[in-house]
Amino acid sequence: MTIEIENVSKSYDGKPVLRNFSLDISSENSYILTGPSGAGKTTLLRILLGLEQPDEGRVRLLGDYKYSRVNAGVVFQEDRLCEDFSAVDNVAMVSRRLSKRTAREELEKLLPPDCLDQPVRELSGGMRRRVCIARALSIPSDVLVMDEPFTGLDADTRLQAIRVIREAQGTTPLVLTAHSLEGLSFGKEIPVPMLDT
Amino acid sequence: MKSRVRKIGIVAGWLAAWQALSLLMHNSIVLVGPAETVAALCALLPEGVFWSSLGTSFLQIVCGFLLGSFSGIALAFLAFRKRLFGEVMAPFVTALKTVPVASFIILALIWFGSSGLALFTSFIVVFPMLYLNTLEGLGSLDPKLMEMAQVYHIPAGSRLRCIYFPGIASYLRGSFELALGMSWKSGVAAEVIGQHLGTIGNGLYRAKINLDTAQLLAWTLVIILISYCFEKVFLALFDRLLPYRTGNS
Repeated sequence: MTIEIENVSKSYDGKPVLRNFSLDISSENSYILTGPSGAGKTTLLRILLGLEQPDEGRVRLLGDYKYSRVNAGVVFQEDRLCEDFSAVDNVAMVSRRLSKRTAREELEKLLPPDCLDQPVRELSGGMRRRVCIARALSIPSDVLVMDEPFTGLDADTRLQAIRVIREAQGTTPLVLTAHSLEGLSFGKEIPVPMLDT
Repeated sequence: MKSRVRKIGIVAGWLAAWQALSLLMHNSIVLVGPAETVAALCALLPEGVFWSSLGTSFLQIVCGFLLGSFSGIALAFLAFRKRLFGEVMAPFVTALKTVPVASFIILALIWFGSSGLALFTSFIVVFPMLYLNTLEGLGSLDPKLMEMAQVYHIPAGSRLRCIYFPGIASYLRGSFELALGMSWKSGVAAEVIGQHLGTIGNGLYRAKINLDTAQLLAWTLVIILISYCFEKVFLALFDRLLPYRTGNS
């Protein structure tokens, strides 16, 4: 499928965050949104997911797509995990078709097996982030959207996470934001400029 | 261990003060001591009517409590999902909360008679507590977590189990603690007013007209014990079913 972001503009309280931003997202491609904090990368991802409406412009889901909102595997900027539940529960809850066994298999690609049954509130920041990545990869989706997915990961786990994402991605398009491009050479860098107010 | 001994000491002190006061008054109509109360209770125990009264009141009050709790929680969920429904419910729930329980008891007596009065009263008292607290808990849920559930199309059952119930557990527990005690107080009061035979309230009323203070206090002791035990069992079950600490909010 192709997602067309067409001349999107967005402002908050009169302060412009995005202006006439366009991007075509197509299968088998990866897009790395870069830019300083506050440039509107997260806003762009939220508009892409249909969580916010642009002031101008539009997001079109092209091809034979029957849903009004894109079906996405998402890593949010914050973890957004159910704190009292284990990593396995957090991953398994996202779909009826996803068994705990499959969720565990997905998680084991990124995390040591002994921490998978602990409540996620007891996990470190980096481990929690990897649970979020596993959750996004565990369901079939039409696009992978990841907002700062490597926050809190050291260099080795970051590279491991990138490898797992790439393996799971297949032909699904990937849009992610990152401050560092280390290990992300496979994607097209898309600068999101900071706007002058 | 030390705190348990201290607790037992405090209770024993109060019982001694009660016994001393009753001896000082020396009037079994005005006040009887704990020893006479326990003796009156022991005299009640072999009577079949005591146990049937206990069973009838327990069944009615607990059913009223459970019905009030279930409908309060369910309708709060509906009000949370459907704003119009919440707006329609608001004046009704406010009326339930503010109208004196005695007015409801008398109205219910006129409408239905005395059978089922304790159930109705317990329901009327518990329902607004659970409704309002559940609604408040739902309003405090983390919007980011709700958004995550929306994006992932998380199934309703998983949403309830993993997001809603952990988020409202502390609100539910607080309102259950209050509602459990209130359901017994209001239920027995309704039985006293309604004069339904074979209930705890009727036992209290008979003790009153016979000026049998020992029996009155024995029935009161029974109400306290049964209410306390039910509260402990119910809250233990609740903590087992919803053992959440952080509440996701």
